[in-house]
Amino acid sequence: MLTFDHVHFYYKKGQTIINDVNFTIQAGEFVSIVGANGSGKSTVAKLIDGLLLPKKGTVKFQQLDTTNPDELMKIHQQVGFVFQNPEDQFITTTVMDEVLFGLQNIRVPREEMRGRVDTALRAVQMEEYLEAMPHQLSGGQKQRVAIAAILAMQPKMIIFDEATSMLDPQGRKQVLSIMHELHDQGMTIIHITHHMEEVLSAERILLIHEGHLEFDGDPFVFFETMSVEKYQLQLPFAVRLRKTLQLDPPFTVNWKEGIRSQWSIN
Amino acid sequence: MSDTILIGQYMETNSVFHRLDPRTKILSLFIIMLSFLMLKTATSFTIVSLFVFGILMLSKIPFPVFMKGLKPILFILTFTFVYNVLLTKGNVIWSWSFIDVTAEGLQNGVRFVWRIILLVLLASILTLTTKPLELASGLEKLLAPLSKFHVPVEQFSLMIVIAIRFIPTILQELDRIILAQKARGHDIVHLPLVKRMLAYIPILIPLLFTTIQRAEQLTYAIDARAYGKGKGRTAYKLLQFQQIDYVVGMIAVLFVITVIIIRLGGL
Amino acid sequence: MVYQLNNVSVNYSRQTALRNVSCTMEEGKWISVIGQTGAGKSTFVQVLKGLIPHIDGDYLIDQQPVKRDAKGQLKVIPEIGFVFQYPEHQLFETTVFKELAFAPKQQGMSNQQITKSISKILPQLGLSEDILPLAPFQLSGGLKRRVAIASVLMMNPKLLIVDEPTAGLDPISKVALLQLLKKWQQQVNRTLIFVSHQMEDVAEYSDEVIVFHEGCLIGQLDTRTLFLEQSHLLEKIGLSLPESVQLLKLVEELTGEKIQVSSCREQEIFEKVIPVWKARRLQNV
Repeated sequence: MLTFDHVHFYYKKGQTIINDVNFTIQAGEFVSIVGANGSGKSTVAKLIDGLLLPKKGTVKFQQLDTTNPDELMKIHQQVGFVFQNPEDQFITTTVMDEVLFGLQNIRVPREEMRGRVDTALRAVQMEEYLEAMPHQLSGGQKQRVAIAAILAMQPKMIIFDEATSMLDPQGRKQVLSIMHELHDQGMTIIHITHHMEEVLSAERILLIHEGHLEFDGDPFVFFETMSVEKYQLQLPFAVRLRKTLQLDPPFTVNWKEGIRSQWSIN
Repeated sequence: MSDTILIGQYMETNSVFHRLDPRTKILSLFIIMLSFLMLKTATSFTIVSLFVFGILMLSKIPFPVFMKGLKPILFILTFTFVYNVLLTKGNVIWSWSFIDVTAEGLQNGVRFVWRIILLVLLASILTLTTKPLELASGLEKLLAPLSKFHVPVEQFSLMIVIAIRFIPTILQELDRIILAQKARGHDIVHLPLVKRMLAYIPILIPLLFTTIQRAEQLTYAIDARAYGKGKGRTAYKLLQFQQIDYVVGMIAVLFVITVIIIRLGGL
Repeated sequence: MVYQLNNVSVNYSRQTALRNVSCTMEEGKWISVIGQTGAGKSTFVQVLKGLIPHIDGDYLIDQQPVKRDAKGQLKVIPEIGFVFQYPEHQLFETTVFKELAFAPKQQGMSNQQITKSISKILPQLGLSEDILPLAPFQLSGGLKRRVAIASVLMMNPKLLIVDEPTAGLDPISKVALLQLLKKWQQQVNRTLIFVSHQMEDVAEYSDEVIVFHEGCLIGQLDTRTLFLEQSHLLEKIGLSLPESVQLLKLVEELTGEKIQVSSCREQEIFEKVIPVWKARRLQNV
């Protein structure tokens, strides 16, 4: 579905932001991209959606090339992007207009619009806020509106670029649970984060470090074989516990249920 | 700070004006305001003032709201008045050292100031009774013919929408910065004027930086949602003239004709 | 220095209201302030710093009422340091050096003294002198925060308030920042007020916790008591327990055995839980 083929990116010559990154993502996968502040993981996200274009190599989404302007428009339609700061992605003045914005851009017929707006807002439980203005919403609510605005465009993939990092625990939980619901319904999800608790439930982890792809594989293998501290990351609580107790792998914790559901006494 | 700025301060009072098409309001107010340039005599000023007063009443918006809107232009009004009084030549009625006050000067001063007040009151009717987004789409429709000459009308309209959306955000940010600076012992309220001007630098620099960052993120957000340089977007809200629009339009035209007749008749 | 609020209320249009808040904060402690968004945490710390001019009730520092102006309004209290969530809001100078020198200069400190205290404070925050000529806005998120904290420490505060200092930082930068703050707090034996949503950090670092709910202070307890004995207080207002505490409670529940711990730090909990765990052969399913 998505292919990075020897992708390089820099702003100025001599700089390396992204260096020779290769990977392929299949439809329906839940992939977490992890790395420290400034590792280049957000740049990878922007390259996927064609918000930045590779200096060398190609980024293709379903055979569409991000460097071709006509194909780029189709990519924007099919790939949704939720940004880190809820404050900076609200473009218009009300929740309804925000969801309409994308629909108008992709020329959805007028009769179809209202139905799509309602369905999308219902999916994120924001249907009561149709007329609300951005400064009346909390961070978590703004992120949910952003997700609705994307869902209305009926994308095939959604990228969450540290979309939970500026939210309070409640907002974070809501956004995470929406992510997993969408994935259960078949959506391809790319989740960029440095919160290791959140990546335990991913199907695959990509580690970006100083612009290189250092790891691509199963979260379990990632936490077993990589010394994550080297990359400014921390083992999730469940893995720290497992390692301290020298328990046998495999051992993961369901993020929805927490550790409570995982244990019994013998 | 946030209370004195009228832009985007829409007020729901369910008046006739709220039901009008934004295009009717923009065009009518535009020609009425133009006609104000022809006001000269006390009679014409009285008639027009009564008319404007009637409009204010019809809008059902409480009078203090309008007064608040005039506050920020108090300085301009004072300046205009003094400028006219002192620099118009004519019959001197009072003088002190090099300052001469003339009867014509007083007359001119009152005329200019009164005209500005009328203009501002009418303009605030537009912003108080029209939702910002309706205003933008009204403007977009009115300017649409210009797009044939490659004027980016649709982008212009998006620009207005974004400006309106970000005013409360930026004011909030300003409040936070002032607070953060105050916590650093940087209190601007208790400083003399010149020093206070300089003291704004620590507040404006962070505001500038965060706003630039914000703008950069916003361009990504707009691109990501497939905004294709504004070409051929579909519309959800359709603007349509109703009967009341024709009536109001007619009244506006009649008003302008009256003003012209008054002027020509020398009343 | 002891900071004390007696029946303080705030009814300020743009602030979350505070209702009858009374508390005493003693010297030399790490005190965390927790609660849901909008519960009054930020208003509370702003009152402490004197940023909210009009409050009802009394604010005492060392038993002395805080000075008010003729209109009865509070003024900013210079001995208290305050670091806001976004370092971008308080940085404005062209170099880190000027940034650090700004406040002391306003207080009339000599250049020599300024240079001296800069070289004392930089290592405390794990910063090197190399960053002095750089522009603060070019620095990474973690460094920016440390510079913002350093610029506040330059004023040698008697009490330091940090509002959500780690949001957006990667885990290791976060731990590093919190450890630096802990070291500073213990070294100078002053009080640190830490506003946070992260229960794990609160459990790991604080001596005492103040809990807010809908504008009311509903508890001021030592960290261990709050998380281990009064945890219903947190459940009532929808805050989660730190994972290590959840583990401890789970093991206690499964084994019916009481595990004695003296703090809520993760390492201690692990150390105390492991023997019980191994003895009773707990298994995951």
